[in-house]
This record gives sequence, structure tokens and C-alpha cells, in this order.
Amino acid sequence: MGESTVVALSSPPGRSGIAVVRMSGPEAAKILGRLAPHAGGWKSHQLQKVLIREISGDPLDEVMAVLMEAPGSYTGEDVAEIYCHGSMRLADNIIEEAIKAGAEMAPPGEFTRRAFLNGKIDMAQAEAVADLICSETRLQSRVALEHLRGGLSRRVKEIEKRLLRQLVLVEGSIDFSQEEGLGEFSREKLHSEAEGVISDLDKLIRTNIPGNKLRDGIRVTLAGPRNAGKSSIYNALLGEERAIVSHIPGTTRDLLRERIHIRGLTYYLEDTAGIAETGCEIERRGIDVGREAARAADLLLFVLDGSLPLSEEDIEMAGRIEHELCIILLNKSDLGLKTDREKAGNLLGARQMLEVSAVTGAGLERLRELIYDSTTTKGLTDIYRERIAVNSRQCNALKRARGAMESALEDISAGKPAEILSVWLREAASACGEITGRSVEQDILEEIFSSFCIGK
Amino acid sequence: MPEQENRYGVIVVGAGHAGCEAALAAARMGVETLIVTLSLTDIAGMPCNPAVGGLAKGQLVREIDALGGEIGLAIDETGIQFKMLNRSKGEAVWSPRAQADKEAYHLRMLRALKQQKRLEIIEDEAVDLIAGEGEVHGVVLKSGRSIGAEKVILTLGTFPNGLMHTGEDQVPGGRVGEPPAGEISDCLAESGFIRGRLKTGTPPRLARGTIDFSRCEIQPGDTDPRPFSFRTEKIESEQVSCHITYTNREAHKLIMDNIDRAPLFSGQIKGVGPRYCPSIEDKVVRFRDKQRHQLFLEPEGLNSDLTYVNGLATSLPRDVQEGILKLVPGLEDARIVRYGYAIEYDFFPPHQIHASMETRRMKNLYFAGQINGTSGYEEAAAQGIMAGINSARSICGTGPLVLRRDQAYIGVLIDDLVTKDISEPYRMFTSRVEYRLQLRQDNADRRLFRYGVKNGLLDRGWWEGMVSESRNVVRAEVRLFSEKLDPEICSEVLGGRENDKIVGRKPAGELVLRPEVELEEVEPYLPGGRLDLSEKERESLKIRLKYRGYIEKQRRNARKMLKMEKMRIPERFEYAGIEAISTEAREKLEEFRPETLGQASRIAGVRRADLSVLMVLLERG
Ligand SMILES: Cc1cc2nc3c(=O)[nH]c(=O)nc-3n(C[C@H](O)[C@H](O)[C@H](O)COP(=O)(O)OP(=O)(O)OC[C@H]3O[C@@H](n4cnc5c(N)ncnc54)[C@H](O)[C@@H]3O)c2cc1C
Ligand SMILES: Nc1nc2c(ncn2[C@@H]2O[C@H](COP(=O)(O)OP(=O)(O)OP(=O)(O)O)[C@@H](O)[C@H]2O)c(=O)[nH]1
Ligand SMILES: [Mg+2]
Repeated sequence: MGESTVVALSSPPGRSGIAVVRMSGPEAAKILGRLAPHAGGWKSHQLQKVLIREISGDPLDEVMAVLMEAPGSYTGEDVAEIYCHGSMRLADNIIEEAIKAGAEMAPPGEFTRRAFLNGKIDMAQAEAVADLICSETRLQSRVALEHLRGGLSRRVKEIEKRLLRQLVLVEGSIDFSQEEGLGEFSREKLHSEAEGVISDLDKLIRTNIPGNKLRDGIRVTLAGPRNAGKSSIYNALLGEERAIVSHIPGTTRDLLRERIHIRGLTYYLEDTAGIAETGCEIERRGIDVGREAARAADLLLFVLDGSLPLSEEDIEMAGRIEHELCIILLNKSDLGLKTDREKAGNLLGARQMLEVSAVTGAGLERLRELIYDSTTTKGLTDIYRERIAVNSRQCNALKRARGAMESALEDISAGKPAEILSVWLREAASACGEITGRSVEQDILEEIFSSFCIGK
Repeated sequence: MPEQENRYGVIVVGAGHAGCEAALAAARMGVETLIVTLSLTDIAGMPCNPAVGGLAKGQLVREIDALGGEIGLAIDETGIQFKMLNRSKGEAVWSPRAQADKEAYHLRMLRALKQQKRLEIIEDEAVDLIAGEGEVHGVVLKSGRSIGAEKVILTLGTFPNGLMHTGEDQVPGGRVGEPPAGEISDCLAESGFIRGRLKTGTPPRLARGTIDFSRCEIQPGDTDPRPFSFRTEKIESEQVSCHITYTNREAHKLIMDNIDRAPLFSGQIKGVGPRYCPSIEDKVVRFRDKQRHQLFLEPEGLNSDLTYVNGLATSLPRDVQEGILKLVPGLEDARIVRYGYAIEYDFFPPHQIHASMETRRMKNLYFAGQINGTSGYEEAAAQGIMAGINSARSICGTGPLVLRRDQAYIGVLIDDLVTKDISEPYRMFTSRVEYRLQLRQDNADRRLFRYGVKNGLLDRGWWEGMVSESRNVVRAEVRLFSEKLDPEICSEVLGGRENDKIVGRKPAGELVLRPEVELEEVEPYLPGGRLDLSEKERESLKIRLKYRGYIEKQRRNARKMLKMEKMRIPERFEYAGIEAISTEAREKLEEFRPETLGQASRIAGVRRADLSVLMVLLERG
């Protein structure tokens, strides 16, 4: 299993003073260079203090790091180690960035395996190392067990089952094409099932809330039609008159951003220009900036003037915003509700709607709670309620599964033959198997035998 | 040790499909070989389906042929209907199949054995092994003779303690009309081999003249019959048709009414049967909603009056078998010449053999075919040729030939045997083959000719021919991707099938990769002129293009596994003291005794973490 460059946490998981992220493989130096772009040259075996940056350029953390060139390293390959502050989130982040830069997640025991393969471990050490792996995996299995209870495994198994059902049809059409009833499968059905699997995977992938969100703050953005009261709500949540409020539509032109805290979590609250078709050049600019902000937000608060009936423009406007997490606010509740709740509830696929009044402060406490709930791992969607949160390793596996299913969709549409579609379904299944610990591939024939009448 | 006569290099016990390939391979590799078989009349017999090949099995036959085996040549000469299955799918899962003239096939194989130098055949029963200190030195025959050999290959088929069932009747036998041979099986069990019991069944045979074929659908063969063997130019023989009819509700009711008389359900049969090849009573019980089951009427030979009723395997009592036929369209007046029956037999769970086919318990003893828990002629033949090759190699002092899962269906078959729990008869399926796209029937030559040649089972000329072919194909592929076409030409080729405007020059290959574009449409525009390819080369180029990318992907996966496959686990590796391995894994590892880390990774119950530990500890032994 040489060739690839792998990365993993190599200090025990959980809270500790310092966390060690280790990379090993031919690309280790290159990837370290990308993570710490402003470091001076790397001299083998010399510790350096460097600033780790995300691939996007944002700074992550100041760390100590070292490059150990092959063969004088633990694994016998080029190895880079990063010693960061002992937060799992931070370590996870660094691992994530390393993966973006081309590393692969190392399976358990991989470093030791490489060390052994490259003849770096002598036999006197072997037993001790074996014990180490053992304790490592015991810890890992305990973590896995928690996830199992938490339902992640159950969710992934459901996806596996869906995949298995499709695999049975696809494989059946190949191995049992001479049988009645198994000869052909419906491409349309397979296509829609594949889409279903992708959306299931997405739900899980979304639960991988990157650690930097929790450290840097979560972006919550107010958007909606002019004069709905966005700026008033902004001020009310901040507790100070930060934004100008007026009855003139189009008051807000710039993007405003302030930090607030809810139950100890940091949020960036953003106020944007009200959206409208008309308006001058400057206003249009403001609207564009606002739209961009809305798209990038972690949570979108879509504000409507609840004292008015829903207009065609409101609906159209909502249609143009795409967002996963959204709360609809019906403002000005003190004036009495005129908006059709049901229609408003359908906007943006929002799962939550709340009546508030920026003037009286009604509903604002509830709004704080909702913001907290929907951006932490519980609340809003049912997944969150089940306390599923995938870590970056699991997330990578799920993303691999997703990628395979995307390819499957493409190849289904392109009319590719069954044996090619099977490649993708199997790959998705095997990626899921990295989380559940077993692969459905071995169940394909079992399933065919038990659900179809086979055999001439 | 008893007095021994004539020391042979290899003794092959049994002359079924496994035995024939084993003996031919050994003799052709220069080893003095002896076949001991119960009867010359059952050589290469087909006790069930009169057909060779089929889904996944066709690939096996092509591979055996590419290794220098006989089965492909034999069926090419004696097939009476050829069909390429799965033509509606991609070429990777095409499988050749042929109806065989059973008698002609038997005679053809008998001739091959008789003409083979260094190969003798005697009719006798092997009743015991000459063995000592964990090694086999020969066999003891019923006639009292003891014959010595360096290697013994057992290919006993369904004969070991065979017990046939038709309704309440139970008759000991290896197949209808032939006695069982139990003694040697009992001896193996006594010397410590673990034994199991499996079951299989066969349908009734009908007198052809009594079937009303006008009431059945007709099923012709391919108009362009393709040979199995790379060494066969062309199929010359005349092609016959098969027919299809169906069972119905009334017939199912009759079966249900008599189900308590079915040995499968009365408890009379204890062996486990294959779920992919169930008896009609099994199908009717398990799939009650099914209105009808398909029956294929297949001739047993050009000059045979027998018709095989594929789909009607049964061990129901004779009167019920007759009753069913009366209800089936076209078979109302059909006369049963031979009744369907089920057979139970001993097998030896194959975790007891190495991937070389040699048993772990006794050196120089090899098992191949049904005895390892497989079913099917092709599966048997595949193991036979490997046992033959490896026993001969061992005599010559060379290591065994073990094909990997990414090299051949045969590799998958044998790897499955040594790493999986075989609880029902094992049959090949393409879905068992993870590298299916690259292991195709069309390229078995490219994958395996070199082994055929190296072992001396194939003339070097075949290999050279193949190499020049594949060189031409690769050359053509390189041309396609290096010769660029102007954007106007691309548009012309695409002829409006493309919405986006094409910018810049594009390699011709990129156009061909589009599913809607044929190679021939692009070819006239190639700057370097048309591709110079034979028809066969052109076809294999197209297949390569179709799977381009996908095969690369599978190769990468295979390469990742390779290091594990190459790490050997010593034979007497001590698992007992290793705390770090889970108990379940330890038990499995002790039972299966994998030879490589790769094998270990495929044993159910062995997890990744266990493998890591193993990897580290390996050299401590
Ligand atoms: C009734 C029946 C139904 C079957 N149904 C199916 C089916 O539906 N599908 C399927 O795939 N396969 C089926 N098979 C199995 C198929 O026939 C075998 O898998 C295949 O023929 C096995 O080949 P083999 O070489 O291992 O053994 P066989 O072809 O059985 O040959 C065994 C040989 O060993 C000889 N022999 C045995 N014992 C001794 C001894 N002690 N001394 C000397 N010679 C000995 C015999 O004479 C014979 O030549 C069926 C077999 C039977 C009998
Ligand atoms: N009665 C009542 N009036 C409100 C409430 N919230 C806002 N208003 C009034 O509505 C008008 C618009 O308020 P803003 O907060 O400026 O609205 P906005 O959405 O920021 O508007 P733009 O920046 O122009 O897009 C002002 O006159 C506010 O006083 C409320 O809850 N109740
Ligand atoms: Mg405003």
C-alpha cells in the first residue's frame, strides 16, 4: 500500500495538551509546504514554528512542525508531523486541509504497517508496537461504538441496504440474465434510487460541521425584501443601534457584520441590503453583496413583513436564494399577521418559521434558541436530532460514496452497461463499509438467492 | 508399507472433468501419469446438463484453454448449439455456452487421453492411500494392487458415499447406474480430514420422439457460432435448436399435494443443495406466487433420443414426475426414459487445501473438483488443470502456479475455496469477480497464454501470435490519442450530435470515447490513415476503449492489494499467543490457515485491525 500519502491523528483521540497530526508518503513534504506556505525552507528533522493556513489562505493555527525525510523516519517514507494545540477540532481541520492538498486518510495501523513494510521496525519492537496498535484500535472501536449508539451506523446501513437492493438488480441482470424476472432492470428506477442515495449521503455529510466554524464563529445572515425589518432585528439581537433603520425602502446598502454570543457560541450576525428589482446602481451593488453573503451563510434568516400579504415578488425572491439551513421570520407581529403562513412556510424549503417583532422584542428569545439549535448538532433536521456528527474520516468515506453515485448517475444517463454501473454501486457500498465495518458486496448473491427464483 | 509396483509421477483418481484436465496437464508436462477410474464409460461424463460454458463458466473454459487445457477444444468439436450469452450487456460479461453432444464429448476426451504420451488409464477403484508421516506415496486399489506415485490427485466427483433419492427410494451410487465409492472417503476421514455432505439433483430425461415441439417456443443458437478455444479456427458442426415450455398452476398444485413425499422436505435428504440450482419442488415451495417456471428442452446429442428438461430437477416420486409432465404443454405424452433424482455425497471443505490444490494435512496429495465442494464441469476442470500443473511443477522442483484474483476467474475460484466457508455447492458467478472488467473471455489469451507456454502446455507460436495482436491493438490505441483532429472535422463527425461548439484540435480518441460515436466514423479522418487491424484486433480495441478508465481504476485497486498478496504467512504460524487479535479472527485464522496476508484479509471475521497486528508480527513465526 505504498505510493499514496496518508494522514491521520497519531496522538490518542480526545482532549490533550498537544495533538499530533502525522503524514507519510512521497507527497508529505509538498503537502506540508502547502499547509505552511510562508515557512522558510524545511531541513530534515528540524522543528519549526509555522503558521498553518487553510488551502483557501485563511490562517488556522500556529504550530510546531517537522519534516523527516526518507528513509530516516518512523515509516521509512517522507514523514511530516504537525504538533498543534490539543483540540480535536483543530487537528481534524488540519487533517481535512491535508486531504484537500492531496493526502488520503490513513486507515488504522497504516503507519505501523508502512514502517514494517519498509523494514523500519525490528523484531524486538514488534510486540510493543502490536500492543500499541491494539490499544489504538480498542479506543477507536469504543469511539465507533458510540457512533453506533448515536445512529450513524444505522443510517449508513440503511444506505447500504438501498445500495444492495440496486446491486442485486444490476448484478442479477448480469449473472442471471437467462432467468425470467431478473433479465433487465429499470434505468429510470435506478436513476431515482441513486439520487435518493445521494440525498441520504448529503444529509450525513452535512453533519460534518468543520471545527473552524465553531472557533471562528458561525455566519448567520439576515436577508429578505426591503423594509421587512432586517436592520431592526439586527439591532435588537445585538442590543445596540448598529444599523440605520428607517421607513424608506432601501435604507441598508452595505453588508454589516457584528459578533454576538449565544450560550457561549460565537456567531457573526450579518445584515444585508433589502432585495428589490428596482433601485439605483449603488443599491444593486448592495443587493449583490447581500446575495453573496446569504449564499455563504451557515444559517439564513429570511425576513418578511408579516403584516403584509405575501407578494409575488417575495416568492420569486425566495426562489432565487439557495440555502440548506433557513429560518423564516415573520416580522412586525405587533401589527397583526397578514402573511399566509402556509405559503410562507413553503419558501426556501425552510423547516422553521417564527413570528417576531423587532419593536416589542416578542419572539426574539425564541429566535436565539432556534439559531443555536439549528447550528449545533441537535435540532432543526431530524439528523441533528439523532446526534449524528461525522468526523472527517467518515465524511471522506461518505464523500467517496457520493462521488461514486454521481458517476453512476452520469453513466446511467449515458446508457453505460450494467457491469460499469456496478463498479460505481460497489465503490459506494465499499466506502460505506468503511464506516459500518462490513461490506454488502458479499451479500449480493445471498440477497439474489433469497429474493429471486433462480435456477433452471 | 505394502509392496508397490510401477512408481508413477502422478496418479489421478477419477476421470471426470477435473481428472481429465489434471492428467492431461501432468502428462503433457513430462510426468508419467496414471488415471484410475471406476469405468472407462464415465470419462468426461456429463451427469447433468448437456452443456459446457454459460455465465461465468464460459470465462472459466476460455481460461482453461488459454492455459493449454482440453475442455475448449473438446466442446468446439462436439458442440451442437453455440450461443454467446449476455450479448445485450457489455463485452466484459459476455459468456460463451454450448449444448454438447454428450456421447461425442465423452469419446473426444477419451481419445485425447488415449493419444496422450506418458498417460495410462486403468479401470479400478481406489480404496485407500499409501501414506506415512503426513505424506502420500500412492494408492491402494480394490483389485488389491498398490501403486506408488510421487503425487496423488483425487477427483472423486459425486461418488464418495453417493446416495441417490427418487421419492422414497434410496440407492447408493455415484450417479444413475453407477456404484458409489465410499471406502477412500472413509479412509480420508479416518486420517483426520474433515468431511461434509452436499446434495445436488438432476431432471428427468425424455424420449425426444414423444415430445410435441410444436407447442413449445423455439430457441436457436447464434448464427455466427464462436469457438471456445483460441486454437479453433471455426465451428464447423451443424447447429440444432432448443425449445422452451413452462410449468403452470396445476403442475405446482400437484407438487404441493405431494410435497410430503419429496425427500427434500420429508427429512430424507440431509445434504445441503445449491440455492442457485434448486429442484422444482424447492422453487414451488419457496416462490409460491410464481405462476410458472421456465423449462428448457435440450437435446443430449445429435444421435441421442434423450431430451434433458432443464429447470425440472427433482427427486419427487416417479408417479409425481409423470403427473407433472402430463400438465405441461408439449410434454403431455412425453415418456420418461430416466427419472430425475437427487444425490447426496461427501465433500471435504476446501479450507483444507492450499491454493496450489495440495492438501494441508498430507503432502503430495491434491484435491480437485466436486470433492472440494464445487459443482459444475467447468469449475471441476479449472481445478483439475491447476492440480495437474502444480503437481507436475512440484515434481520438477518449481513452486506452484497460483493465479491471483486480478488475473483470472480461476484465481477467484480457488481463492474463494481456500478463504470462504463453503456451506453449499460452490458455483462461479461473474459477480464474485471484483476485477471483472479486465478478466474477460475475449482476453483470456492475453492474461494466461504465457503460463500455458511456460508450463509447456501450449506451443510458443500461440503466445507470439497473441503478443503481435496485442501490440497492434495498443499501437492503434496510442495513435487514436496522439493524432489530433481539427475542430471542423470533429463537428463533421459529430454531425449535430453536439451542442457546444468544439474549440481547438482534439485527439481522435476523445471522440471515439463518446458512447454515440463509432470507431469507424472517426477512422477515415485520422491524419495517419486508417488503422491497420484484423477483425479480432479491431474488436479488442473497441472493448479496450469502452472500458478505458474503468479498467485503470480496477487496476489501481488491484495494485493496492498486491503488497498484501505478496506477504506470506508461514505455514505453522502461531496464532494462539497473540492477544491483540480478536478471538473470532484467531479462530478463523487457525481454521483457514491463510498462506498470504491477502488471503487472510478475505476471511470473514478477520478485521482490518487484526491484519495490522498480523502484519507486524509476521516474521516472528
Ligand atoms: C445427479 C447429478 C446432478 C448434478 N447436477 C448439477 C447441476 O445441476 N449443476 C452443476 O453445475 N453440476 C451438477 N452436477 C455436478 C457435475 O456433474 C460435477 O460438478 C462435475 O462433473 C464434477 O466433476 P469432477 O471431475 O469433480 O467429478 P465427476 O465428473 O463426478 O467424476 C468423478 C470420477 O471419479 C471416478 N471415481 C470416483 N471415485 C473413485 C474411486 N474411488 N476410484 C476410482 N475412480 C473413482 C468416477 O468414476 C468418475 O470418473 C451434478 C452431478 C450429478 C451426479
Ligand atoms: N411595527 C413594527 N415596525 C417595525 C418592526 N420592525 C421594523 N419596523 C419598521 O419597519 C421599517 C423598516 O425597518 P428596517 O429595519 O429599516 O427594515 P429593513 O428590512 O432593514 O429595510 P431595508 O434596509 O430598506 O431593506 C421601519 O420603519 C421600522 O421602524 C416591527 O417589529 N414592528
Ligand atoms: Mg435595513
